[in-house]
Amino acid sequence: MLLNRSFRYWSLLPALLLFAALTLYPLLNLVRMSVSTVAFANGAETWTFTPLRNFAALLEDDVVRPAVVNTLVFVGVSVAIEMFLGTALAIAVAGLSRAKRLVRTVAILPILVPPVAIGSMWKLMYNYDFGIFNQAFVALGAMPVNWLGSTSVALWSVIAVDVWHWVPFVFLILFAAVEGISPDLFEAAHVDGATRRQTLRFVVLPLLRPAIVVAFLFRAILAFKVFDEVFLLTAGGPGTSTELVNLHLYKVFFEQNRLGYGAVLSLAVIAAIVAFLLVSRRVALAVASQK
Amino acid sequence: MTANLWHVRILLAAIAFVATAPALAQQKAFADVGKQPDITVLIGSTPWYPAFEKVVGLYEQQTGNHVKLDVTPFGNILEKARNAVRTGQSPYDLMTLDTQWTIEFYEGGFVSPLADVDPAFAMPKEVFHYGDSGYWNAQKRWRTADGGKLMAYTVLGNVQLLYYRDDVLKQAGLAVPKTWSDVLASCTKLAKPPSSYGFVARGEKGNGIRYDWQSVMLAEGVQVVKDPEAGDFTVTINSPQAKKALDLYVDLLKRCGPPNYGSLGQGDVIQLLATGKAALGDVVTAAFASFEDPNKSAVVGKLQTAPLPAGAGGAHGAVIGNWNAVIPKNASDAQKKAALAFSRWFLTFGAQRAFAEAGGIPNRSDVYTSDLAKNPKYRWMPAYLETQKFARQELGYAEGAQVEQILGLRLNQALIGEMSSGKALNTAGQEIEALFKKNGRRTGVLPPLPE
Repeated sequence: MLLNRSFRYWSLLPALLLFAALTLYPLLNLVRMSVSTVAFANGAETWTFTPLRNFAALLEDDVVRPAVVNTLVFVGVSVAIEMFLGTALAIAVAGLSRAKRLVRTVAILPILVPPVAIGSMWKLMYNYDFGIFNQAFVALGAMPVNWLGSTSVALWSVIAVDVWHWVPFVFLILFAAVEGISPDLFEAAHVDGATRRQTLRFVVLPLLRPAIVVAFLFRAILAFKVFDEVFLLTAGGPGTSTELVNLHLYKVFFEQNRLGYGAVLSLAVIAAIVAFLLVSRRVALAVASQK
Repeated sequence: MTANLWHVRILLAAIAFVATAPALAQQKAFADVGKQPDITVLIGSTPWYPAFEKVVGLYEQQTGNHVKLDVTPFGNILEKARNAVRTGQSPYDLMTLDTQWTIEFYEGGFVSPLADVDPAFAMPKEVFHYGDSGYWNAQKRWRTADGGKLMAYTVLGNVQLLYYRDDVLKQAGLAVPKTWSDVLASCTKLAKPPSSYGFVARGEKGNGIRYDWQSVMLAEGVQVVKDPEAGDFTVTINSPQAKKALDLYVDLLKRCGPPNYGSLGQGDVIQLLATGKAALGDVVTAAFASFEDPNKSAVVGKLQTAPLPAGAGGAHGAVIGNWNAVIPKNASDAQKKAALAFSRWFLTFGAQRAFAEAGGIPNRSDVYTSDLAKNPKYRWMPAYLETQKFARQELGYAEGAQVEQILGLRLNQALIGEMSSGKALNTAGQEIEALFKKNGRRTGVLPPLPE
């Protein structure tokens, strides 16, 4: 029995080693980089231990503050709209008696489009002079909108693209959950005299809660990591109106080649996501335990 | 009889010479590089790539050697190049790099000086120097032929030109603008938004606005840094002349451009000119070929070019945006030699002429004085040749990428009205000074402008 248990622990070792090699080593390297200045000379790299330099750069960086605020607005607004629309769409499509499969297939198409294609496509549609939206507005006698060139509109234009891209993802998860609810429950609610609204509120939504939590967590994490769409649509401008943390991180790491400071920003993003996950887990457990 | 035979022989020889002379001349126009191993070239999927591909095809056809092209989107080239030189052996034998990136590679010791590959290699005297961007003086940490080693050559030397609609100017009774103030005066008259715009240039945050504005800045005699070659990194970007140049640029874009001037990128500017919506524009030379393509342009044959206008003092300014070819230090010796053989061939008159005919921008002065320049298809050549006299490299120091980010943001903020031009330049000046100070440079900054 003891041998059996010992074997079970030892058999985990390869997986643990693989995990350490693929996850822990890069993370530790990132930590090391964050307290170093990395320079290149004579075809080789040199690491100098400068523990405070990169963290001081974080405090001095004027772009970080708007980037954090924009990221929070982006995540909060886009995920909220996606959750609402995705849930509504899932319930509406589940209620269809015909063409359900066709609607489901069409509805999930945006997830299949690569982000680079999405960025290019929407950039064309948002074009001030030739874009389809402004052409339609002008045809209807309205003024064209400066979708990507106005500081007060640009972030919302980016959020709209993200919503279009990811509502189908929420829909897909919740549609499967709605389809999984036993028809007996709807019948019982009907027999008890529940209206459609009451059935939705007291039967469907409580049963969807675990799926909603999962969809929310996935979406929030992915929204924190958004990059391609913003990079292609606005590159963070005009001004700092659409500058997001990941975009800034990319510029620091790859365009400016500041590896140490880039590592500090990366660690900050990882820490923010881990903190968000810990809080979300507690909230999710609390929500799931509600009756 | 014998004398008669001699006459016949001489006559036949003369006929043979006349018949074969063009063929011989053509052969001489290209270098004979012999049989070489296959090479791999890292290159961007830029607008001029199709022209380069055609010339590479010609090289393969003439020599029987093979060139593999790794065509990469702009955003990924730098990372691929960095990865290549930081590994054991480079997967590339020749890499084309944006001029701004070359400093990192020269200074890091990642590329081979061309004379190390072949001591006999010399740059043909007809090839433009493009602000010495191919040289590196390690002691000065500066790109200069003075004491520097030749590390690269220019594959494509872009400079901005003033594109104008000759027909539109004539109709409005306006002359081709000679100064930036003329541009403002003309474009204000020509602007009839939203149906047409008087002048277009890049206003988008980052490289776009930094690059385009610097032409106006240089024409006003302004420098970002006092004398970086001599090690004096005193920041001079917040001078009254710089403010004047920025105010003028903001005026140009706001009064003559489309309402989305704050996010206008190169693609937008080219699109507005190609569709005939803009009368004047500040665009790279490489865009000319697309304006002459009926599949991409509604203004074929209608756009003319001139050197960028002068500032108030009559001086011109233009920033060079060239692509340099480098040989990675960690490529094998045989591969390095093969890469240099291709380079030697590419730098010949014949190859550069073929490059021009395919839609590229040749790097040799003799192509610009050849019969090609008289062909209306290449009517951009005189303006380009003139621009070579005053075009220069900018931000040619290790901190260049960070300075570009700072300027790119602050200039854009001034353009969209988030900051006054004075505040934007003061902020940029302080940030650039702090950056130099941190890196141990001899620096300082001018007294702040009124905000």
